[in-house]
This record gives sequence, structure tokens and C-alpha cells, in this order.
Amino acid sequence: MADKVATPPTGPLKGVRVDALVVMKITKHCASSHPTLVTGQLLGLEQDNYLHVTHSFAFPTVEAQPDNSFEGSDKTTSSNAAAPRAKSSAWYQTQMVDCLKLINVDANVVGWYQSANLGSFLNKDLVENQFFYQTNTTYNERTVVLVHDVAKSAQGSLGLRAFRLTKEFIAARKEDKFTSESLVKHKLTYQNILEEIPVTIHNSHLVTSFVHQLSTPPKPLPAPSLAHLLQQVHSQPSALPAPLYPNFDSLELAIDPFLEKTAENLLESIETHHTELNNTQYHQRQLAREQAKIAAWQVKRKAENVSRAATKQELLPEDEWQKLFKLPQEPSRLESLLNSRQIEQYAKQTDGFAATVSAKMFGVYGGLQAEM
Amino acid sequence: MASQDSSSFLHLSRPLAAALSATQTSTAPVNVIIQPQALFSILDHSLRRNAEQERVIGTLLGVRSEDGSEVEIRNCFAVGHNESQEQVEVDMDYHKEMLALHLKANPKEVLVGWYATSPELNTFSALIQNFYASQGDGTYPHPAIHLTLSTQPGKDIAINTYISAPVGVTADRASDSCLFLPVPHEIRYQDAEKAGLETIASAKDSEDRNAPVYNDVFALEKAVQDTLDMIERVSNYVGQVIDGDIAPNNTLGRFLLSTLALAPKVSPADLERMFNTHIQDVLLVAYLANTIRTQIDLSNRLALHAFAKEEPKPTTTPATTTTAPASK
Repeated sequence: MADKVATPPTGPLKGVRVDALVVMKITKHCASSHPTLVTGQLLGLEQDNYLHVTHSFAFPTVEAQPDNSFEGSDKTTSSNAAAPRAKSSAWYQTQMVDCLKLINVDANVVGWYQSANLGSFLNKDLVENQFFYQTNTTYNERTVVLVHDVAKSAQGSLGLRAFRLTKEFIAARKEDKFTSESLVKHKLTYQNILEEIPVTIHNSHLVTSFVHQLSTPPKPLPAPSLAHLLQQVHSQPSALPAPLYPNFDSLELAIDPFLEKTAENLLESIETHHTELNNTQYHQRQLAREQAKIAAWQVKRKAENVSRAATKQELLPEDEWQKLFKLPQEPSRLESLLNSRQIEQYAKQTDGFAATVSAKMFGVYGGLQAEM
Repeated sequence: MASQDSSSFLHLSRPLAAALSATQTSTAPVNVIIQPQALFSILDHSLRRNAEQERVIGTLLGVRSEDGSEVEIRNCFAVGHNESQEQVEVDMDYHKEMLALHLKANPKEVLVGWYATSPELNTFSALIQNFYASQGDGTYPHPAIHLTLSTQPGKDIAINTYISAPVGVTADRASDSCLFLPVPHEIRYQDAEKAGLETIASAKDSEDRNAPVYNDVFALEKAVQDTLDMIERVSNYVGQVIDGDIAPNNTLGRFLLSTLALAPKVSPADLERMFNTHIQDVLLVAYLANTIRTQIDLSNRLALHAFAKEEPKPTTTPATTTTAPASK
């Protein structure tokens, strides 16, 4: 199994199948270091255009430097986010993969994962990492990033999503130019930077039997012990083992923290957008100014040439302006693209949240009103 | 109580020599908490064992409470080993290397013991146990936890946890024998893992053992459905009690009554006001978010359009639909 080579790519990836073990590993790793951003490697293999993720391991987190406590946390986050493509972790990755190969794990890199908080994962680091994975020759090109949203999972539904960069973005990134011109050329908009791939959860036979065993009590409880159980509930409600399933977290009515946080994130993104806008405007003004200067120079040169022609003098070259003036570089549009995508993500998230929350509220309202 | 030596010794947990007693300062029962992640890992390893292997072993990682009376197994990794009738060979270099790699990623999780995927305890178990509990590389001064998990087909997956006490007539024998003391264990998961476990559990009844990751609305629908089912069950029970089919249970009745009393009593005016303010908040934020989205879309299109003008064909951007918040 370990040396099984993935089937050569024949079509687009249709889906990602994540093993229960990997789901648990990722949720545990992300939750235990929340809200710090963490990353890790995904191992598995590809079959019939479905990517099977069967194992994962965490990348080492970078400890905050004790001496610069002010920047410490910020720095840690950014270096953690860059860990998948950092040189320092390459050694760790190969060591780990080699070790896992010995115990029959599918030692084939199929991507990486990272944690996120309320959908705030669209940034340069994610895109750069994924670009690194999708263009790296040692890995298969068909790699994905799994994003686990810790805050969203805490609300009741598992927030696990898989993404890949689109061909358009890869092409634009390979030229390393994100000017408006190249965006038009590659037909790249903020909506097609990433493509989302549907995720399914897969259980092994052992896990299936284990889960069945967990949810069925060994024997039916006789009546006296039921009373005893109830007594326990009264004395210490938390002591009772909660069933795996169903999970009623999604019925939670507290909306304020979520709304507040999302609105905050949204505002922050708008601020970034504004900064980017200012940069572009500045560039536009600069460009206009330079172009006006060039036009003035050209008019002047032309007039000069006319007078020279009248006096039968040699004409001066008219394209000399290219040497004299330099047009300002257009700032990279990557940041604003990603930011737009991020804003879209927040907006959609708010939309989805509003839908569920209003449904819940109308339910509560209806329920309470019926009582009166 | 399982001691591996089948000869006619009397096995007593007692200090043999000064040196030995020092390796095991405490044999007091510990409470073991197992996180599902570790269990899933062991199950996965058991599936990936070599065809001829009876059982596989691995190292358990986790955290200890300060007084050492509670051990939480959080993680584990597999260790290769070879077992025959006469001898056992454990890849110790591999174990050390993996331990170092794991410590790098998770400095908080330390070595707490080992696992095996067979319920059997034999001489080799004792040997390995003594290695894991030893001074230096082992868990000393804390006892090493031994977890057995049986994965025999047709039987329940039985999980047992043990700690060990030194036993043996001479110091020589003590190194390959020990007394395994069963200790209580429980499986506990954290809140953040609940959603993941729920999704995993939702796949248990499907034939291909797959489950899609639900979005919020589906999750809500499922939760509401489950609640309705439970209410149905309770009302069935109450109906049967009223009809006299089932003997009434006072405690249960009282419990149901107090649950019903939990429903808040609010005056209609208050309810109306609270409801309106809350729903307005939500809808306003959603509305604003959508407006922002439209704006962003517009600004991106304008930016592209300005440059695309010179080209013969304008760029085609996928049409986006901006939905206004549903006004109910």
C-alpha cells in the first residue's frame, strides 16, 4: 500500500474522501491550539478522481520568541501559516513520511490542512502554500488544502472544506504578475481563485463497528438503575456521558458573539479593501500625471521638429520619451483579489447564518406564542 | 487480574530490592481518559498491520494531571515489532525517532505508555511494559499505561487499561515479569470534536461507510428532526403510563415536570419586542453583508472592464446572484 502510485490524472478531482481518523486528528490539532493558526500534512492516495486522505500529521509550531513579546504572537502566526512551504519543515516532513512508510501508512502526500476561525482563511499564505504544493514536482500536482473552521465546528456542524487553486490562478501566479492586464488575459476574477471540492467522510470497518458499539449501551437499563441515573443527572448533570449523536449544538440560540465577530472581520476586510483602493488610485493619479508629462513633451518635441524642418535642420527623434520618462509600476492586484474573495466568503457566511438563525428564532417565537 | 507467569508462584506486589522499588514509586490506581483520536489511530493501525502479524503495538502519548492520578491519552503512534514464539523484537530506534518528531509538533504530549491490539497479556507484554516504565526512556517515575484493544472479528471491540507492579522472585526474573493491574478508563471527547464525531457517527448506518459534510441548514434540520423524535418517544411513554400499560416512575415524572418547567415565561409584549430586535439585528447585518458583496463585485467588474475596453472582447465573469435577505 505504501508504495502504491496514484493513478495518473485523467480528469478533474471529483471529491475528497477523508478518513474518520484524519477528521479526528485535524479537529484535535486545530482545537487544541485554537486560536493560533496551525498546519499539517495530509497523506493518502488517489483513486478514480477521488482523493482519499487516510493519514495526517501536524507540523511543528513555532514557539514565540520570548524577547519580543509584542510582535511575538503575530510573528508566530505568520510563520506557522508559512510552515508548509518553509525549508525548515521540509526535513520534518520527509522524516515523518519515511517513518510512517515503515508502518504501512499511505506515504503519499496529497495536500495539507490548516485551521481557520470563522472563515478567515483566504490570505496570501494559503494561496502561496497551495501554489507550492500544486506546482512542486516531488508531490503530485493533485493536492488539496483542507480548511478546518474551529469556531464553526463548535456551533454544531463540522466546518471542513477542501480547496484547490484554479488553472487560471496557477497560470497567472507562474508569471508572478498580478497587473490588471494579466488578470484580463487569464480571465482571473476573485471568484475563480479557488475551487471548492466536496468533502465526504469515510469510516473503516473497524471504526463503523466501534461507533455502533459506543452508541448502543451494553444492556438495557432496568428500572431501579434508571431512577439512579436520574438522581445522578440531578446531582451533577455534566457527569453523565453525552451521546455521540445526535448533537444539539446547532440548536443554540446565542447569536451575538458570532454576528459580532463576523461583522468585525468584515469591517477589517473592508478596511483592507479601502487601503488597496487608495493604492490603486494613487497609482492611477501617478500614471495620469506621467502621461500628461509625456504628452506635453511630445507636443514640445513636435513643435521643435516643425521649426527644425522649417530651418532645414536634422529632425530630433520623437520616441526619446521612452528613455526620459518611466511609467510607474502597477501595484500587484493579488492582495485585493484575495481580499475580495475573503469579503465574499464572510458575506456568504453571514447569509447562511442569518438563514438558520431566523429559522430558529421563528421557531422559538412560534413555540412561546402558542403557549400563551 | 492478569499475571503472565503460569507457574505456581504466589504473585505479590511488593518491593523486591531498593533499586526496583525506586522504579515504581506509585502503583496507586490511576484513572485513564482516552480521547477518540487515539482510539481511531489504533484501529487504523490494526487495519494496516502486516498479514501475518497477530497484533501490533504502539506508543501512547498524552498528558498527566499534576498529582499523576489521571492520565489523558491524547495521541499515539505505531511502532513496528516482530514477535515469535521465543522472542520479541521492538524497533526501539523507530520509537525514539517518532517520539522526538511528535514532541516537536506537540511539546505538551509526553510518553504515557503503550498499546497492543490483542486482549492477551503474555511474557512479552511484561517485557515491553517494563521497557516503557523504565527509567530514562520510559515513563518513570509514573507508571506506564498499557492499553489493549481487541479487534477480533465477530466480537465487540474491548478496551482494557492496565498499569503494572513489579513482581518476580529474583531481580533477574523481575525484568521479564510484572503484574498487570486493571485500571478504570473512560472515553472522553472535547466540545470541538463533537461536530466531527457526529459526522463520523452519521456514516455508521450507510452501506458504503461514507457521509457528506453537512452545511448549517442541514445540520439544523437534522437536529430539529432528532428533537422531534425524542419528544415523540417521551410522549409515547407518557401516553403508555396514562393508559396504564407501563408502571409509572416517580423520578422520571418529576424529571419531566422540571424539564417542562424550564420553558421560560415571558409576557407577549416582551416576547414580541425581543423577537423583533433580534431578528432585525440579524437581518440588518445580513443585508449589509450582501450590499458589501455586491459592491465588491461591482468594483471588481469595473476595474476589469476599464482594462478590457481596449480588447475586442470583454471578459466574461461568471454571473453572481446577490440575494437579499429573505424577509419573512
